[in-house]
Parts: sequence; structure tokens; C-alpha cells
Amino acid sequence: MKKIIELKNITKAYDGQVVLDDISLNIYDNEFLTLLGPSGCGKTTTLRLIGGFESADKGDVIFMGENINDVPPYKRNVNTVFQRYALFPHLNVFENVAFPLREKKVPRDEIEQKVQEMLALVALTGFETRSVTSLSGGQQQRVAIARALISRPKVLLLDEPLAALDLKLRKDMQAELKKIQKATGITFVFVTHDQEEALSMSDTVVVMSEGRIQQIGTPVDIYNEPENAFVADFIGESNILDGVMLSDYKVAFSGHIFDCVDSGFGKREAVDVVVRPEDVDIVAEDKGMLKGVVTSVTFLGVHYEIIVDINGFKWMIQTTDFVDVDEHIGLYIEPDAIHIMKKSEYSGLYGDYSSFSNELDELSDAESESEE
Amino acid sequence: MKTASKVYTGIIMLFLFAPIIILLVFSFNEAKSLSVYSGFSLNWYKELFKDAETLNAVRNTLILAVSAALVSTVMGTAAAVGINKLRNKYLRMTMDTVTNIPMINPDIITGISLMLMFVFVGRLFGAATSLSFWTMLIAHITFCLPYVILQVLPKLQQMDKSLPEAAMDLGCTPLRAFFKVEVPEIMPGIVTGMIMAFTLSLDDFVISYFTSGNGFETLPIRIYNMTKKTVTPKMYALATIIFFVILALLILNNLVDDEAVAKSAKTKAAAKKEHSRFRKMAVGIIGGVLAVCFVLVLVFSGRGTMELNVYNWGEYISDGSDDTLDTVKAFEEWYEETYGQKVKVNYSTYASNEDMYAKLSSGAVSFDLVIPSDYMIARMLNEDMLLPLDFDNIPNYKYISEDFRGLYYDPEDTYTVPYTYGVIGIMYNANVVDEADATGWELLWNDKYAGDILQFNNSRDAFATAQYKLDLDINSTDHANWDRALEELKAQRPLVKSYVMDEIYNMMESGEAAIAAYYAGDYFTMLDAQAEDVDLRFYYPDHTNYFVDAMCIPSCCQNKELAEIFINYMLSPEPAIANAEYIYYSSPNSAVYEDEGYMEDLGEEAIAILYPEMESFRELYNKYAYRNLDNETLSYINTLWETLKIS
Repeated sequence: MKKIIELKNITKAYDGQVVLDDISLNIYDNEFLTLLGPSGCGKTTTLRLIGGFESADKGDVIFMGENINDVPPYKRNVNTVFQRYALFPHLNVFENVAFPLREKKVPRDEIEQKVQEMLALVALTGFETRSVTSLSGGQQQRVAIARALISRPKVLLLDEPLAALDLKLRKDMQAELKKIQKATGITFVFVTHDQEEALSMSDTVVVMSEGRIQQIGTPVDIYNEPENAFVADFIGESNILDGVMLSDYKVAFSGHIFDCVDSGFGKREAVDVVVRPEDVDIVAEDKGMLKGVVTSVTFLGVHYEIIVDINGFKWMIQTTDFVDVDEHIGLYIEPDAIHIMKKSEYSGLYGDYSSFSNELDELSDAESESEE
Repeated sequence: MKTASKVYTGIIMLFLFAPIIILLVFSFNEAKSLSVYSGFSLNWYKELFKDAETLNAVRNTLILAVSAALVSTVMGTAAAVGINKLRNKYLRMTMDTVTNIPMINPDIITGISLMLMFVFVGRLFGAATSLSFWTMLIAHITFCLPYVILQVLPKLQQMDKSLPEAAMDLGCTPLRAFFKVEVPEIMPGIVTGMIMAFTLSLDDFVISYFTSGNGFETLPIRIYNMTKKTVTPKMYALATIIFFVILALLILNNLVDDEAVAKSAKTKAAAKKEHSRFRKMAVGIIGGVLAVCFVLVLVFSGRGTMELNVYNWGEYISDGSDDTLDTVKAFEEWYEETYGQKVKVNYSTYASNEDMYAKLSSGAVSFDLVIPSDYMIARMLNEDMLLPLDFDNIPNYKYISEDFRGLYYDPEDTYTVPYTYGVIGIMYNANVVDEADATGWELLWNDKYAGDILQFNNSRDAFATAQYKLDLDINSTDHANWDRALEELKAQRPLVKSYVMDEIYNMMESGEAAIAAYYAGDYFTMLDAQAEDVDLRFYYPDHTNYFVDAMCIPSCCQNKELAEIFINYMLSPEPAIANAEYIYYSSPNSAVYEDEGYMEDLGEEAIAILYPEMESFRELYNKYAYRNLDNETLSYINTLWETLKIS
């Protein structure tokens, strides 16, 4: 695959506060790449560096083999879809979409034809003379995309473009964005803090935290083989436990020795062990590898989410079998359900469901959204 | 309750708009009086458009307002953009406060400080005159600027910050992004700011007054200076026109604002189109008007080679209205014919001797000719503010007869040439006052007419009436003399309807009051405008006050010879007669009062009043005219005056 953008050892600070800490990243042709992370992780700054709205303190931005550190935004073959669309209120739909072409002094009939093509692509044919302020959020979104795509940039940058839409519309737009990306063959760099969105749309996911890249990989890799506790926790739900590698394929945690599929660790190396909630089977207490007491049960439609106390550590388990609160149960874990990670600075911060509640989770989600 | 609130609203509206309605109605009045409406007429509008000096002032005002509005809009918008980009909170707060200071600052302080600065900087560079059109323009920009910033800044803050970024992203350079995207977004603020700047500049008086220079007179200053006599109804016509122009601007501006509101309120697309057409129209019209004004300015502001700066009382020269001679223009033409060179007369006016004195002694202006009154001439001579005249350049001085030479303020006739003189007499309404009572100063103390008598609201003039009555010296420094006069004024007080100055015109014209002492020349102005049931008459008591206004050359003069030629021209028969006819004061020029045509036009009655028979003007004048008193006496008089007003 052809490299389009290369970020090399980028560092960036505002007022002494480091927001990007020695980041390196390759973006390839025709790829749908997502920068994923909580607010303040530096994903938007990374996007703005590529767009040319910020300059790095250290490091280089390479575009198709050329250093573009000092190239202003209007000379970069990159376009942006802004978070709040940034449509020009004094221009109608047609003129908004035609704006980049008019700037390039493209002949009139060519503009007419290209704008119509673009509007057809985003399903807005017939809206040409409408004022952009009279459109719904989803329609404004499409205009913004059409406007950013009309000059056929090499790369399209999207800064949380779906954040302002409601859930149903967001799902539709996700599918549509993916479709548009396939149809145009343009590289998309997409910023979001929504892990589901990232997994469902991307070819490559870049997980970021505190100005550093935590992991780069396909959605499946990221989910199944998280590199550290942060990634494991941020992508989906995880029980993360302190463990010790006894030998290859043998790991001890929660007072039990398990078979696993991981190897290559040092003897008696302390590790983080990840077990996804859906990978744990509930069995009778006496048949379980681990034994515990159910402390809460929540019905979520497709499955129950239960919290089990095992020696003081609270596990989350998703199951279709009904169990009752205070019931004593046994847990059975298959070797390939266990994922071993090296210890990192995030060890011990995540993966315990002692204080977990759905409500709290949603609250903190909402907060991080409003911070952006 | 509902009707009560409606009535209340009605009263408020009436209160707010009654003055304007009255102004409007009386601008269409046939007669001159403010008290009598004698029929619809467009006379005053016709008059207005014949008044070259007023039109010139309107033109000046527009030049100034348009330039100030344009410059302050550009500068203010740029400043707002800069302030909006400040990231440091404290710096930003400081900028906000600093911009607000000129708005909160009283005009008078802004005016004085600007004048000081201009004079200071002018002196620094050794300029003879530091105040000019340009200083006034700078002053106006100064006070308009914060209003523009205040209008534009909120629009910038409301604007989505990513708009300019989006424009750059789509291929605009930062500058182009500003004009293509930011400017349309903040346009309502810019237009409102520009209109505010325009109207603020248009009606500013205080700051203009302190910073105006030679010959550049704006309308508010001109109207203020007319108070020497009375504001003529053509000013009502002008005020009416201005009112409607501003109203139109306001309506246009509201259309622009409405459009902005409608935009945020998400109305139907069709309505929007309509609105945006309105906005484009409004902006177009305003821009068009400003552009036309500006072109007019450039066309009109061509300047001649030589300049003569004349500083005179308001309405104190024949100016071409009512088919009279436009003296200034006639002089310019005559000069070019005679000397083959162009000359431009910059003509400015003042309202009182004290205003003129203050302006001259500030050192910020230079005038070539002033026409102060006698006591002020004495004061200016004392302070070396006048230059001796070269009478070789003023052969027409021969028209000033022996009787008007050797007056006390200039006993050797070296500095002054008399322009007009006046005598105080007593006027009364013959429909109220018995003819037999109309004699001497006693009429003002006649208790038969209690409540019909007007007295001067000015210590020197009021005391003089008592002193003339008692045959006391009006220039005495003896306290007993003034105490005696005070007793007389206290005795008169219960009979006095009110103490007045300029209000005398309306009160006498309408018959509201029946007896007053005033200058003969002004009596005719009132006679012209008297109501139907009023019959004004005039007579001179035995002793009375005389004044002389004379042409002088101040020491700041830049072209003395030209000023002398102008004085000489003013003495020649044609302009002298035109001025005497226009001003309606007595003329000391024999070419005037010996002119048969002029005397015939006046008629016997007017001759008797304007040119009363007297043995020797000089003798009476030197005896009865006001002299400059020492400060101790002046403050003693003021103390007495206060006790009279308080008692």
C-alpha cells in the first residue's frame, strides 16, 4: 500500500502543557483510519496538524513524500469536515458546495456539473437553492461532506462529524460515510471518541491517550489483542486482572492456574490478564475454576450483565443464563478467552467493576463529549 | 387597566415626539413666529436652499460625517478583529475597557483633551494653525471608533470560529477568507456601526466645537452661533429634513437587523430570500448614499490659492438668502477681477464675544479678521491680541464719519473700523400698554403692567436699566452705586414676568409679555413676526446703552494685507448697504445712511428708530457704553445679582 501521510515524531504543547508526545503514524492510500480516544487525548490536534491549522513544535508532517510543515491549509491537498460543519450561512447549498471550485476559478458549467454530481452522491439533489440554516443536522452534515469532497482531495479529515446527530441518524450516517469512502476511494481520517463507531467503520484504528498512541491496528486486532490495560478498557468491556506468567501457555491469576494461548514472556513475569465478559461461562459452583457470589444482575435485552465478586475483585460477565443475586456460582474460562498483556503505566487503573454502574458510564460519556 | 396603559403609552409617545411634531409643523409655517401658525408654506425650505453659508455648513457636516464613518468603520472593524483574536483574558478585558472609555467620557473632556493635544502637537511642529478639517476628522474618528467596535465585536464572537478555517481549508488565503466569509457574517454589525458613526458625527457639537479650525464650520456649530439673533425657521426646515433622513437610515438599519434575526429564527426559504434582498438593498442604498456624498465632497472641496479666514457673529453678514447680496462670494469675485488672483474666504461664526475670545486665545486657530464688540476690543487690546491697521489699504475708511471715530476703546483709531452700532430702547405692545405710560425707563417699573414686564437675565444689562433710570454711572466702581441699583431692581422684581435673553423674541412676538428693553435692530425682527393681536412699538428713554461692533485684525493673522482689503471692501457702498439691510442694525457708514435708496426702503419709522437724532454719538457713547470693569467690581455685581435672583 502507498503511504500518503507520514507523521514523524510530532510533539506539540500549549502553554507548557504537552498535548502530543512524540507521535509517529503512517496513513495509507484509500484507507479509512480512525483516531480514537477520550477527550484531551490529542486526536483533534493531530487532525488539525494534518489540516495545517496547527504547527508542530517538533517533528515532521510528510505528505506524499514531501515535508509540508510550512505549507498553509489553503495549499494542502487535504479537506476537512468540521465538527459543527462550518457551513457558510450567507451562501445557499449550491454555493457552499461550489465554494472551493469558485476559489479555483473553475469554469461555470463545470462547476454546475460537479456540484450536481456531489449533491447526488450525498443524496441532496433538489436542495440547491435552500438556505443552509434551514436544513436539518443530517442534511447540513451532507453539505459539509459534499463541499469538502468536491475538489477531490487526497485525504478527507473528519472531526467528530457525527457527534451532534441523534443515535438513529448517526447509524445511518456511519453507513453512508463508509459508502462514500468506498465510492470515491479517498483516504478518510476520522476522529471520534465513540469506540463502536470506530470499530464498525474503520480499516485501521489508532487508539490515543494522553498525547500518545497506545495501539494501531485493525478493529479486530484492537479488540482481541489489546496492547495494554487502557486499550482493553477503552474498547469494549474487560475484566483486567493481575497475573503471573508461570511458563509459556500457563498463567496464574485469582488464585488459579489457567491454560492460555500466549507465550514469549519471561519466567514468573507479572502481567495484565484480560478476560472479556462475554467469554466467561457460568457453571455450577463446584465445577468452576473460580467461585464467586453474584452481587448484581441487569437485564439488557440480548443478555444479562451480572457482577460477580471473586475474592473481593468484581468481574463483569455477560450471559444469557439467568442467575439470581446472592447466588454462588462457578466460572469456566477457555484458554483462548484469556489475553495476556505486558504491564504498563495503565496497569491497575482499569478492569475492576467494583464501582460500576451503567448510569455512571453514560454520565462520564456525556461529560467528555461536552468538553470537546 | 388596559385603557389606562394605552393612555399612558399615548402620553409617553406624545412627550417623546411632541417637540419634533412642533418643529415639523412650524417648518411649514408661513410666518416667522413660533407662536402663530399663519398657514402652510414651503417658504422656509426655499429660504434654506438659498442660504449659501448654511448649505456650506451642511456640506461640511456631510463631508465630515461620511469620512469619519468610513474611516472609523474600517479601523473599528480591524480593531474588533484584533481584539477578538486576543487569547489572553486579561489583555482582552483591558482592551474592552480601554475601548469603552471614550464612550463613557463626557464629550466636553474628550473635546478639550483633543484640542490640547492638537495644539500641543501643532506647536511641536511649529504650525501656525493646528486646528483644521483634519483635526476635526481625527476627533470624530476618535469618538466614533468605540461604537463601531462595540457593534462588530459581538458579531465576531457569535460567529462560528471554524468558519474562517473552513474557508482556508477550501482554498482561501487568510485575507480572502476574511473578506469572503467573515465579512458577510459580521456585515450587520459593520453596517450598524457605520450608521451609528455617521449619525454621531452628524450631530456632534461639543467635541466639534473644541476641535474645529479655520473656516470649517459644521451645522451644529453654525446653528449654535445663530443664537446672537434668533434661530430662523429655515433651520426648522433643515432640522425636519435631517430628522427624516436619519429616520430613513434607522428604518433601513432595522431591516438589516431583522434579516439577521430572521436568519437565526429559521424561517421559510422564501421569506429568507425576500429578506436577503432587503438587506442587499439596504446595504446598497446606504453605501450608495455615502459614496455620492463622498464624491460631492471631493468635487466641492477644491481650494483656491489664497485664503482669508473670517470669524464673525452668526447671521452677521449678508449671505445671499432672500435675494440679498452674497457678500463673501461677491468679495471673492471682485478680488479676482481686480487683482487677477483667486481668493477663498473661509467664513466661521461664533455666538458670543467670550466664545470668540476663548477660541482665539487658545492659540489653536488663526483668523485674519474678527468683529468683536467694544468691551471685548478693549480687553483684547489690553492683551495685545490685535494688530494696528494700515489705513493706506483702507481708503474707504473715509465713509466712517467723524462722529464714529475716537471711541473710547480705540481713541486713536489705530486698530478698529466700526461695523455696526446699536442702541437699547424699550418696546411695548400697544394693545396692552397705554400710549401715555410709554415714556422713560419708568415703564419697566409701572405696576399697572405687573406680570407683563421682561427684564434681562444678565447682570450687567439688568443693573444698567436701573442705573439709567436713576441717572447713575453704569461704569462706576463705587459699591454704593450698585447697592442703590439693586434696591431698584428688588422693587421691580414683583412686576417682572421673567428674566430672559433669547426667549424675548417669542414672548414679545406672541404677546405673552408686553414690555421689554432690547436693541433697536432686533425690534424689527420681532415686528416682522408679531402675532395678529400684537402691536409692537418702540421708543428711546433719555439715557440708554450703546454698543459698537468693529472689524479688527487679530495678532494671529496670516495675511494682513488681504484682511485690510476685505475691510475696505466691506466699507464700500454696495456690500455695506447689503449688510445693513440684512443685519438690521444701525450702520456707522455714511455711504449707507446717506444713501437715498436705503433710507427710502427703511421708511420714516425705521429711520427714527435705527438712526435717532443725536447731537454727538461719540459723546453719548463714551458716556453710556459699557466699559470693562475690574474684577473686584464684577464679582461684587455678581454677588448682588445672586441675591436678587434668590430673594
